Amino acid sequence: MKADTLMIHYGELSTKGDNRKAFITCLLHNVRVALKKFGLPCHADRDHIYVQLGEEDPRPIIARLKEVSGIQRISVVMKTAPQLEEMREGVLQLLKEENKETFKIDVKRVDKRFPLDSYGITCDLADYVLDHSDYAVDLHQPGAKVKVTLRSDAAYLSCHEELGLGGYPLGMIGKVTMMLSGGIDSPVAAYALIRRGIKVECLHFASPPYTSYAVVDKLKDILVCLNDYQPDIKLQIVPFTKIQEAIYESVPEPYCITVMRRMMIRIAVAMAKKNKALAVATGESIGQVASQTLESIGVIEEVTNFPILRPLCVEDKLSIIEQAKRLGTYEISIRPYEDCCTIFKPKRPKTKPKLEDAKFYESKFDYETLIQECLQNIETIYISEGKEVEGK
Amino acid sequence: MTYLDFASSTPPRSEVLDRFAELNRESFANPSSTHALGREAERKLEQERKTLLDLFGVGASHRAVFLSSATEGNNLALKGVALQYSNRGKKILVSSTEHPSVIEPLDYLANTYGFEVIRIPVDSLGRVLPETLQGLMDKDVILVSVMGVNNETGAVNDLAALSKIVHAYPKAFFHSDLTQAIGKTDVPYKDLDLFTFSAHKIHGLKGVGALVLRSSIRLVPSFHGGGQEYGFRSSTVSLPLAGSLVKAVALSLKEQKKSIAHVSALRDVLLEGLQEKGMVLNSYPEGCPFVVNFSLPLHKASVIVEGLSQRGIYVSSLSACSSKTDQVSYVLLAMGKSKEEAGNSIRVSLDGSTSLEEVESFLNNLSALLLEVRPR
Repeated sequence: MKADTLMIHYGELSTKGDNRKAFITCLLHNVRVALKKFGLPCHADRDHIYVQLGEEDPRPIIARLKEVSGIQRISVVMKTAPQLEEMREGVLQLLKEENKETFKIDVKRVDKRFPLDSYGITCDLADYVLDHSDYAVDLHQPGAKVKVTLRSDAAYLSCHEELGLGGYPLGMIGKVTMMLSGGIDSPVAAYALIRRGIKVECLHFASPPYTSYAVVDKLKDILVCLNDYQPDIKLQIVPFTKIQEAIYESVPEPYCITVMRRMMIRIAVAMAKKNKALAVATGESIGQVASQTLESIGVIEEVTNFPILRPLCVEDKLSIIEQAKRLGTYEISIRPYEDCCTIFKPKRPKTKPKLEDAKFYESKFDYETLIQECLQNIETIYISEGKEVEGK
Repeated sequence: MTYLDFASSTPPRSEVLDRFAELNRESFANPSSTHALGREAERKLEQERKTLLDLFGVGASHRAVFLSSATEGNNLALKGVALQYSNRGKKILVSSTEHPSVIEPLDYLANTYGFEVIRIPVDSLGRVLPETLQGLMDKDVILVSVMGVNNETGAVNDLAALSKIVHAYPKAFFHSDLTQAIGKTDVPYKDLDLFTFSAHKIHGLKGVGALVLRSSIRLVPSFHGGGQEYGFRSSTVSLPLAGSLVKAVALSLKEQKKSIAHVSALRDVLLEGLQEKGMVLNSYPEGCPFVVNFSLPLHKASVIVEGLSQRGIYVSSLSACSSKTDQVSYVLLAMGKSKEEAGNSIRVSLDGSTSLEEVESFLNNLSALLLEVRPR
């Protein structure tokens, strides 16, 4: 007998009723993709996905599974026949491998036809361990804890479990168009969406030569980090220079950012619809900069009734930085190429813009034509499993 | 592609690559090994060393240390001399427009060992004038460092005159960073007590440079270990890299006259074109023709450099396009330029292989960008 199976517990499945089948199918697919390089057999039933480890070391596999959304917990389990004799031997063996002075046994009896109830089974197994070892029972702070799940076909014994990402399986609840600047916030926002099971496609606004092409390289590196959680990510680059220049010719300085964000949202919504995404997402956090005050957001969002998600809207900067460091994107984001050139940075941007004024100023140039031109000249890059790949 | 950034790096010549491969294949043994193969490698290494010194005409008076780069050479020369001879005095003079690989080691000596490091002012063209140096010299000075050709502007220092002033003081050594000078201007190698350079600026390989110094000079070592390179720089010497460097120097000196004539003509076209566009010139007509520096009166240098880069033309500027990291050139500030000029300069650096078409293409694209791009 050996602990040679990984048992994957589903995420927020309880609330999903009819969607259970779709959830499981999607998660099983994602697990298979994530574990492709290990080549291990996986199968799913109503309650769990099982991965047969064979001789593989479970640690790197668990580490990989911790990057897959839709997983609540992962345990390394030993499978035995649903009979007391085998369960006793299994529990004793696991505890000997752990070799801690105290233990606790938790039994869950799914198959209610089993003659003993949970308490009865617990006592039986514990008696056996006490008779065959020097270990003592401690129900409050056990050195080792064995979980026993008794089903009709088998019993699953485990000493270890780790928390997964939670959320829904990636791709199950659609995709969004994520506006990615290259700063610290937007990669964290993208991660928050992915973790929830929402697939992201990224959109970047580039203003060459005012911004350096080095920013695009930076974005590619950021997406490589996010590949751990979403194996394929599309990045689209919007040539934004002409609109930037038109704005700065026609709009008074304090309103430049407001009008610029209105243009960006228009383009992002058009791209989202074209890509069949169900929402646009940004890394905005309320109040952080002039364009992210509630007043500004109101005026900017007025250009569309398409949903706009702001996963970080109430996060504070320090917590965002903390998450970015954990993701590994922080060091990339702080490279000294900015997404916005100082030439286009107004000294006193409006923090409480007025809708009428913003509309009036942007009516001074033919933005519809410029936006159409942008949409026709989008460059698309694919980042897949850690590297740039040819278009699909 | 129009590459006009030869002062940053140059492509290695095929002769250099061949020499590197040849020595790698033929003499891989450690020159410090005492067996026949090792002795063979050592013999070749000493031959390369002798050839190098002879190329500079200093075979009788100097020796050469092979090392990794000009930065390493400057560090070894400056720290090595200062620490070795600190009992003679603690005053060091350095021109205010030196490369960071000279300034930083000297600042380190000042901050850590209490040396008095004095910056020698330059004139408005970026040169250390002999009379300025003369005014700063005294009997406490143990070391003077003045570069041959400035890497940002191409300003040329009169090393013969400067060394003469230093050598009137018997305790003082004269060091010169020749990284941008070899093969690009006449250098009085014999007059220099120590000089440094790297191979990749003269169509050699990255990862190799040399420090040439008068045989009587002792240095506190940079690396301690097996005692290679006169004990100044322990480390197994790479014969192939050393040989590739000597090849690069030989070809560079051989073609010096021809390439100066060729590049001077291009530089004149460049200076004229830039002047027509109203650019502020930071290089002067008598300077080293291989480097031309100018400031943009209205535009941001980083934006123009990025625009040129997108058009396949590669030149250099100091600053990235960022409010946080805007840098100004301390070299241009030292020449008395304004902060705006020093923060918005572009360096174009030429080579014997540069064509007139490339220079014209640069000028045309610059004109187009100046019209297209918003001023700063």
